[in-house]
Amino acid sequence: MQISEDLIKQITNAVLQEMGQSANSTSLVGKDRINPKRTSYANYKKAAKGTNPKEVVIGVGAAFQREIKRTICNIPLDEVLENLKAGIEEEGMVPRVVKILDTSDVCFMALEAAKLSGSGIGIGIQSKGTTVIHQKDLYPLSNLELFPQAPLMTLDTYRKIGQNAAKYVKGEQVIPIPCTNDPMSRPKYQVKAALMHIAETEQLDPEIGIIEWEEK
Amino acid sequence: MTYIAGVDIGNSTTEVCIGEATLDKNIHFLSSASCPTTGTKGTLENTHGIQTALKLALNKIGLDTQSLSLIRLNEAAPVIGDTAMETLTETIITDSSMIGHNPSTPAGVGQATGYIISIDNLSSIEKGKDYIVSASNLHSYDEIAQKINIASKAFHIVGAILQADEAVLVKNRLEQEIPIIDEVTHIEKLPDGVLAAIEVALPGQSIRMLSNPYGIATLLKLSAKQTQSITPIAKSLIGKRSAVVLKTPSGNIRENMLPAGEIYFEAENPSSIHLDEGAEKIMEAVANAGKIQDIHGQKNTNVGNMFSRIKHGMGELDDISKTDIHITDILAVDTMAPVLISGALAGETCLEKAIGIAAMVKTQQLPMQKIAQQLHRELNVPVIVAGVEAVMASLGAITTPGTTLPLAILDMGGGSTDAAVITEEGHVTLTHQAGAGELVSMLIQTELGLKDRHIAEQIKKYPLAKVESLFHMRMESGEMHFVENSIDPRFYGRVILITENGFIRIEEDIPMEKIVQVRRDAKQKVFITNALRALKKVAPMENLKKITNVVLVGGSAEDFEIPEMLMQELAQYRIVCGRGNIRGTQGPRNAVATGLVLSYLGGQHDS
Repeated sequence: MQISEDLIKQITNAVLQEMGQSANSTSLVGKDRINPKRTSYANYKKAAKGTNPKEVVIGVGAAFQREIKRTICNIPLDEVLENLKAGIEEEGMVPRVVKILDTSDVCFMALEAAKLSGSGIGIGIQSKGTTVIHQKDLYPLSNLELFPQAPLMTLDTYRKIGQNAAKYVKGEQVIPIPCTNDPMSRPKYQVKAALMHIAETEQLDPEIGIIEWEEK
Repeated sequence: MTYIAGVDIGNSTTEVCIGEATLDKNIHFLSSASCPTTGTKGTLENTHGIQTALKLALNKIGLDTQSLSLIRLNEAAPVIGDTAMETLTETIITDSSMIGHNPSTPAGVGQATGYIISIDNLSSIEKGKDYIVSASNLHSYDEIAQKINIASKAFHIVGAILQADEAVLVKNRLEQEIPIIDEVTHIEKLPDGVLAAIEVALPGQSIRMLSNPYGIATLLKLSAKQTQSITPIAKSLIGKRSAVVLKTPSGNIRENMLPAGEIYFEAENPSSIHLDEGAEKIMEAVANAGKIQDIHGQKNTNVGNMFSRIKHGMGELDDISKTDIHITDILAVDTMAPVLISGALAGETCLEKAIGIAAMVKTQQLPMQKIAQQLHRELNVPVIVAGVEAVMASLGAITTPGTTLPLAILDMGGGSTDAAVITEEGHVTLTHQAGAGELVSMLIQTELGLKDRHIAEQIKKYPLAKVESLFHMRMESGEMHFVENSIDPRFYGRVILITENGFIRIEEDIPMEKIVQVRRDAKQKVFITNALRALKKVAPMENLKKITNVVLVGGSAEDFEIPEMLMQELAQYRIVCGRGNIRGTQGPRNAVATGLVLSYLGGQHDS
């Protein structure tokens, strides 16, 4: 095939056109935020420390159910929260949901939830689905149970996490939660996980701290 | 200087003791060590373990194997223990007549009687009848609660049975309180239109109506004849937190006796006994049989297969033809094993009668001479086989402070329980009995329904505790123990074993009290029975009261509760009994090895 100046021009134009289009839609080039605005939670009620010994506090991420509506593997966050709460309720304990705006690290989130919980047991969940069960007296990075592989979690897993958290409150023997492990999930989801984490982190508002969260 | 090593090859550990014989015919003990036995006791593979143990002991005093003048091996008793278990009964449910199980969270309390109706058929519900709704896990708890709420406005709904673990969730959304049972796996087998009774117990209690034949008769309006036939149902529901009983025309539950078979004794007084007579009768038969040459079971029955399995296993290990292997003693123990009920709807188990048997197999003399030759070739040190194990153990036991002749020893190992009595004249009577530590492990494993033997062995060895918070735990004695540093969260809320190397958690969900009870029962059944049996055999005129001192030696004497149990039992016969303390330092271990070194002096006199 002969390469003429004409042909090169044609190709260059085609490429430029394509780039122009994508820049208009989703490219992040030149931006420093994923969502242009930070949602304000200034008029929400500050989360208080619970007194009910049957309480399990669920601490959700800053972008939970707002900027992010689904976990990394596309499970609607409404249903995730529903199942966590159902698991706690089935074991006879009482769930309460707070939104944590001063950190997006899942271990610290869970610890803060635990410290607000009347029973001292809390669950931290990031908007991408990563979940930790924590106890108020533990060090942040030493938790009761950690579920790191968010892409492999199902609604049933979340139900069982809720049940186990409630069992910790009752001092009962917890049931090991079967988890799948996929070595490919890291390369497959790394970029998506990073973007979701950035989207969550940029919604942080440390001045407000932790708020009561019952968006229904 | 003459350095002498005594080597004791046991079923599970090899122990050595190093002594120095001085010119004035005294022995100074210098060092001792132990390591796991390599290979089966009495085979050539044992030499590896012996060398390791020797090096361990000699390193402690800065010597090597070349400085030894003599190694003395024990004449190991040619007996090897083995265990087996067989269930005697099975429970079969026909036509799905009952569900009784312990879901962790049923909801509501009380009993109810009504006709089963599936949630999909609620449209065909009729007025004037009571109904119990059954719902599969395809329906969410919201949907189930909503449908029951709507239906109960016009009709009588008195209870619910769910497949998913959602009883509390449904109950919290209902307008009226009804008993709800959940986690029924095979809910599709529940037939519509059948009269059923359900019951959920109060917290901390078990059901009362459905575990009582007259209770079932009251709820289901049964005749006297029908009541008779449902008695096994009531019996199998005892102790459950929730239950369902269906009134089916042909439905029934049966307890089958399995064809267990007979045991034959080839002995002074040949006899036979049926396995399902129970452990007590079997042990009576063993005692009455006199000196036993061999024991075998009826062909093609459970017990027959059990004995041939033991013999076959031994033959493979030892390379001996099967005809040369004789079972010379058995210990039978009654036990209960949780077995899945066939035909059950929710994976219920029932405790079935079972029998555990430890058998002692006598082979020809173990090739100790060959081991001695092999060891001599490898180390270039003279090796001799010196003395019978039980005699050496007695010699070693005398080094316990506070003992005197005549003395009885009870050597409780893994495979067998041995007893010996030494009189003032130095005359020794001895016996080997089947059944020891391994049978205890097996009983613990079956009664608790554990998957592997290893954890049963750990339960046998270590005390339990329940971790109640990150900073304190409740010990099995009831004592609260607060720890300095917080407990690892992996143990939070768990029943754990306290070992010298930290905690082991028990994965199965069994209450601590139950484990303690099973463990103590198993030890009582095996060790108390066997200790009395063995001591009676060696006691002068078979009279226990003629024995004054009993020293406990061997691995199981190190146990944290067996010596105390024996002490209490033997106190009735005014016997001083306690854990040995060989040479005042070694505890109950190392008796045989110490005896071997001591017997060197006796050997010198002879020559």
